[in-house]
Amino acid sequence: MHATIQKPIEEIVQNIRSDERVFIVGCDNCAMKCCTGGWPETRAMAERLQKRGIQVAGYTVPGPAGVSLCKLSNTRKVLMEDCAEAVAGADSFLVLACGQGVHTVIDATGGAMVHPGCDTVFGGETVSDTEVKEYCSLCGECVIEYTGGLCPLTLCAKGLLNGPCGGAKKGMCEVNPDQPCGWIAIYERLKQLGRLDLIESYQKPKDYSKWGRPRSLVVSEHEATFRFYADSKTVRNDD
Amino acid sequence: MKLNELYRQGKFVITGEVGPVKGAISRDRSVEPNCAREAIFLQRYVHAVNITDNQSAVMRLGSLAASVYLKSLGIEPVYQLTCRDRNRIALQSDLLTAYSLGIDNVLLLTGDHIQLGDHKGAKPVFDLDSVQLIHMAAGLREGYDISGHPIENPPDMALGAVVNPNFEPMELQLLQMKKKIDAGAEFFQTQAVYDIELLERFMRQAEKLNRPVQAGVVVLKSPQMAQYMNEHVSGIQVPEAWIDEIGRTEKADRREKAAEMTGRFLRRVKSMVQGVHIMPMGWADLIPAILREAELSI
Repeated sequence: MHATIQKPIEEIVQNIRSDERVFIVGCDNCAMKCCTGGWPETRAMAERLQKRGIQVAGYTVPGPAGVSLCKLSNTRKVLMEDCAEAVAGADSFLVLACGQGVHTVIDATGGAMVHPGCDTVFGGETVSDTEVKEYCSLCGECVIEYTGGLCPLTLCAKGLLNGPCGGAKKGMCEVNPDQPCGWIAIYERLKQLGRLDLIESYQKPKDYSKWGRPRSLVVSEHEATFRFYADSKTVRNDD
Repeated sequence: MKLNELYRQGKFVITGEVGPVKGAISRDRSVEPNCAREAIFLQRYVHAVNITDNQSAVMRLGSLAASVYLKSLGIEPVYQLTCRDRNRIALQSDLLTAYSLGIDNVLLLTGDHIQLGDHKGAKPVFDLDSVQLIHMAAGLREGYDISGHPIENPPDMALGAVVNPNFEPMELQLLQMKKKIDAGAEFFQTQAVYDIELLERFMRQAEKLNRPVQAGVVVLKSPQMAQYMNEHVSGIQVPEAWIDEIGRTEKADRREKAAEMTGRFLRRVKSMVQGVHIMPMGWADLIPAILREAELSI
């Protein structure tokens, strides 16, 4: 999921002009789980803005329940058909969702002015109703086969692929003494699995072109194509 | 001269360390930067002097410029190069530049994280890790860049690496050391160690890997410094016994005491290792006394 945190209200208000009528859009998936853009937060945002003198043209969290704002076809239908009247009276959209959601609103509205209401912080695992943790950096070239499924690029502050830096103290990272060293976690896990052999081999440098943005994915029943920078990779999924 | 040449000759290798100035080298050549003054003094007592690369992620004069400057004064530099601030293009280019400017020894490290330094908002690079950096440097020496393209006049420098005996679990650090050797590391300097028993335990395993190891030690000036290192310097642990001994000593006598303690430690550990690396932290003038106490000389 895309983890988000709301921007401070002062920052949001500061970017909306006094004569601007704003329509607020939430997301019923990731942002709902992060308490940044579900129905309660979206409704509350309308009140918080009105209290500060901002004109609110309307608000919605595109349903049905559990659907992501970034599903363009659904968001387009909800904004341009279901909420057509309120949307027609809006000068801009405040999006309480991740950066993908913000762009979905641009696409859904045919290019309307948008304001991001959140900072998108990372892609994470919802480990409980109150906590999201980052275990993947979305790098485009997964290396966790040899680390027992723990990503060194994400769990090591330096993203080292061949082992720890030597800076850890009492098992904790040199960058943050509250954070366990990612490489010690990998080592302990592989030791437990009886697979320490996996980290003995040299891991070559990453191909950072696969992290080259913007990236896209084109999928079908038979194959998928991942495009990055000027290159692409196509893989069949039915052979 | 390359340090591995000294090892081949069976020499016990002694190195010191200086940090480049926070600023530039003066155009007025009568004004020596501090690091040069220290290195000039050290020159008589050590085989080579490490030049740190923006250590603790504090921005300073480049280690390459300082290394070349010291080389021009006749001092043998060990040019430290970290992965923190450069991608693979810059790292290779700097290695070629270093060799072209006369550098014979390079110490290849990961580098302290930017969060430890004075430019916390900077982008951490870490395009490569230290094992990959060593592998790449060995590749350049073979005549190929990391993308496999042939290069002219391959740089032939001694490739050093670091290892931290304080690291727990030690087995993981030894795995890492083995990977560095497989990648091409020819000699090792350790992070500062103060625990003889720990170093002995480490060396019993490390010596099986068959590469020269220099025991590293930071001259401990005061109990406050020990406390600071224990809290803020990554990978170092100063034991209570050291803190007590320097703490019990009157401030006026601490320089002498620091030399005695460091020398005594090195005397006890020298039979376990193939060299020592002394980091005097500005007290370079203590090196002769330390080496006397350690019964060591070049």
